[in-house]
Amino acid sequence: MNVPDEPLDLVYRHNRVTRLTHWLNALALLILFMSGLQIFNAHPHLYWGNTSEPDKAFFSIGTANDDGELRGYLQLYGRQIDTTGYLGVQQRDVAPSARAFPSWLTIPGYYSLAGARRWHFFFGWLFALNGLLYILFNFASGHLRKFFLTLSDAKKVHSMVAYYLRLRKQSPQDGEYNPLQKMAYTGVFVVLTPVVLLSGMAMSPQLNVAFNWLPAVLGGRQSARAMHFILAFGFLFFVFGHVFMVLTQGFFNNMRSMTTGWYKEKVQIKKETPRAVREIRPDIAKALREEAPPAQEKIDAPGEAQGGGETVPHPIPTNSPDARPVIALRSEQEKEKDVDPKS
Amino acid sequence: MSIPSLKLNRRQVLIAALHGTAALALSGCEKMFDSLSESETVQSILASAEQANRRVQRMLTTRNKLAREFTEKDISPIFRANGNPPPMTMDYAAGAKDDWADWRLDVAGLVQKPARLSLIELESMPSRTQITRHDCVEGWSVIGKWKGVRLEEILKLVRPRSEVKYVVFRCMDTDNDGNNYYESIDLVDAVHPQTILAYELNDRPLPIDNGAPLRLRVENQLGYKHAKYIRAIELVESFEIIGGGKGSYWADRGYEWYAGI
Repeated sequence: MNVPDEPLDLVYRHNRVTRLTHWLNALALLILFMSGLQIFNAHPHLYWGNTSEPDKAFFSIGTANDDGELRGYLQLYGRQIDTTGYLGVQQRDVAPSARAFPSWLTIPGYYSLAGARRWHFFFGWLFALNGLLYILFNFASGHLRKFFLTLSDAKKVHSMVAYYLRLRKQSPQDGEYNPLQKMAYTGVFVVLTPVVLLSGMAMSPQLNVAFNWLPAVLGGRQSARAMHFILAFGFLFFVFGHVFMVLTQGFFNNMRSMTTGWYKEKVQIKKETPRAVREIRPDIAKALREEAPPAQEKIDAPGEAQGGGETVPHPIPTNSPDARPVIALRSEQEKEKDVDPKS
Repeated sequence: MSIPSLKLNRRQVLIAALHGTAALALSGCEKMFDSLSESETVQSILASAEQANRRVQRMLTTRNKLAREFTEKDISPIFRANGNPPPMTMDYAAGAKDDWADWRLDVAGLVQKPARLSLIELESMPSRTQITRHDCVEGWSVIGKWKGVRLEEILKLVRPRSEVKYVVFRCMDTDNDGNNYYESIDLVDAVHPQTILAYELNDRPLPIDNGAPLRLRVENQLGYKHAKYIRAIELVESFEIIGGGKGSYWADRGYEWYAGI
């Protein structure tokens, strides 16, 4: 950071429902992923189509026995990679054990398909209902609109990538979320989550009766199973990216905003002083208006007393007198360097 | 000279510490989830999802709607068999040898007219043929062509009493510890048009591996519900006093009684 790390603007970024559902979602995803790997271990092969003809698997994690020595391998479209020690074989206290994913990646750790299914279906419900609560609440409050990728955002994705790769000086971000973030979140909302839910449901024999188009549109039950597995790694990929951004873009600030709701803006964005700040902390709001940032200790104790209307209002035109309350302190050049994308 | 080696040592120590912490965290996580998986309270909370699955899935399914039926060309070359090995008793071997001439299906319990049916009698009743997909709880699927008598026909024959809630299937196979396999379904599934007692697979008498002489097909549930080697059917109001009390061999071993998911 080239600019002193002074608080510029304190925004109430995440409402209570968002914070609660975020952490429940994190827990659900962790358990769904790990119990899912245990379920996969019961038949560590993937196929396309309706059935699982033994010689038609396109993906397998297997165990070979080379003269009494167990060897783990991963096979994708006929090509084999040795994965002994990671996949296919795990060293246990007693003896090497043949299992696709090692015990520390699965729930339960010991082999139990029945146990894993129980975890998976309970947290499957939690994931779905929690997601529904999040979407209904934030759709109603207009929060979802802030990170939904629009056509004009989509055009800026490549310049955001260029900015991250330091090929471009200026960030194309003009809202609370940058185009790349919007793309990631929108992808999770409209592709990853619906398809992971549908492919999961397409494996249920009873739901296959209720909606017999369901496995068909996904290319058959085994295709649905393969997609479900692959998309689970899509979530893992997203979570890695998300956690990486949190760790690198201000860990404490991000953690505070996802636990208390309050986020310290480092980049000036086009919006007026948050209503929550105006109403609940008139002292901060006043300080903001007077272009003098409030003292640090005041910011760190925003409390939980906010009522409704917690979300940040929509951007107002830049020619409004309220639009640039703080930025006058800073030069245009400083602004460019100080973009702080959040995860 | 001492500084680089110190650096290296420090780095090695740090890496080792990191590995150690990670391993400890991972094995700690594993132990935590294992102990939660063994806690009865946790398990009963998790198991509440089974009731939700059954209620919601039943609500979403039109009564008597059929599972998808496939065509001859979709049939899998080999119908994979799973579960306990075929019954290894003298009676079973003798039965298989003489085409089940002495085998009988007993239908009893809370019925007005108990029945005892031979394979030939079952084969002479109205039959249904269906090419359906069999989904194992492990994750694999095979398609096979089944022919059998509709369970509802048998129920009509024995006239269940009004308090009957479940149909229990008693099987001839046992596990290594001598526990008899049994299974149960409720009346909604029992009278479903595709719920049959199959005696033919892919136009041939039911093979031993697939449950000869008679097995259940309940097409809206996973493979482990499809009881093989059936010897008797019992109509009951409750299955609490049977086996482990959970309604089936697999339910007694932690699997869901409702296997629609």
